[in-house]
Amino acid sequence: MTFARRVLVLVAAAAGLQLACGPVRSQTPQRKGQTTVVLLSESDGSVGRATVSNPSGSVELETARASTTVEQGEAPAQPKEMSEADVKRLFGAALAVQPPAPAHFTLYFEFDSDELTTESRKLLDDVQNAVKGYPSPQVTVIGHTDTRGAATANIGLGLRRANVVRMRLIEAGLDGSAINVTSHGEATLLVPTADDVPEPRNRRVEITVR
Amino acid sequence: MKAQHWIAAIALVTLAAPAFAQQASPAGRVKVVSGSAFIVRSGGTIRAEVGQSVFESDSLRTGEDGSIGVTLDDDTRLSLGPSSEVRLSTFRYAPAQSSVGLAMNFLRGIAVYVSGQIAKLAPDSVRLETPSAIVGVRGTTLAVQVVPE
Repeated sequence: MTFARRVLVLVAAAAGLQLACGPVRSQTPQRKGQTTVVLLSESDGSVGRATVSNPSGSVELETARASTTVEQGEAPAQPKEMSEADVKRLFGAALAVQPPAPAHFTLYFEFDSDELTTESRKLLDDVQNAVKGYPSPQVTVIGHTDTRGAATANIGLGLRRANVVRMRLIEAGLDGSAINVTSHGEATLLVPTADDVPEPRNRRVEITVR
Repeated sequence: MKAQHWIAAIALVTLAAPAFAQQASPAGRVKVVSGSAFIVRSGGTIRAEVGQSVFESDSLRTGEDGSIGVTLDDDTRLSLGPSSEVRLSTFRYAPAQSSVGLAMNFLRGIAVYVSGQIAKLAPDSVRLETPSAIVGVRGTTLAVQVVPE
């Protein structure tokens, strides 16, 4: 047994002890295929939700570090809170190699134009800086328009807007092959409007850096 | 002669079809690697490197000293500790066509999953499976351990 494997088993046994209700047993047997699921807080501190189920039953995880263990063929155990220390011990190696969280930016454009608004021109620097923080960065650029004008023409306008952002990122040193450009034209409005309505908030390019 | 040509043409088309199907667009990319980590693709094992593409149906596998982190195109993140394996059984992300879906099989070891756009757009289309349970998510960071079989 290698060191890494030994640590994993010890850690799992420790977690088993922590989770076991009733008398503490010094050797909690680890069953093959046994699953432990722990709900962790998001980076902004909020907590999502998860349902852990199988044909024998189902439990909800709704609070930070709520955890359940499931044996094969048995219902998931009632959720218990796993200590922060145990989360670190059990999952530290996987947490250590989490890729950085993707970042999202929205840049706005002048009416019927591929010219960035003054504020958005400044924001472009933030995008360029953000890209540097990612290993093997990828950037998705989606161009959008408001509903003024023909839908087909707006596909073209959205694409021109997205390409302006693409060119600026390439000028800043990003490899063009890392940038994916598309246009939704007027199909995906940020602010829903009727057709043929000028709306500054819909004249935008959405950027994801990951 | 003519019949033979036709047969050859049909054979070519038949052969080309599965090859074409394999040229699917990537589902994501390897972002972090430490120690020995691999991508298992159609039976073969490739050593994982930062920047490599990950496709639907690929498995991520780590050795006893390995760990790996990937980011999928919908912002989903998945990282594995040592002696672990997770299969990306389904990845569909075409929100403009309302076609999204994500399924992962946690086969063994430890992994951390952070949900992305698919879980936001269609939470019911996300399915995380282990040998003993199915996990449904609602915008969630989850840590999963599966004891090896």
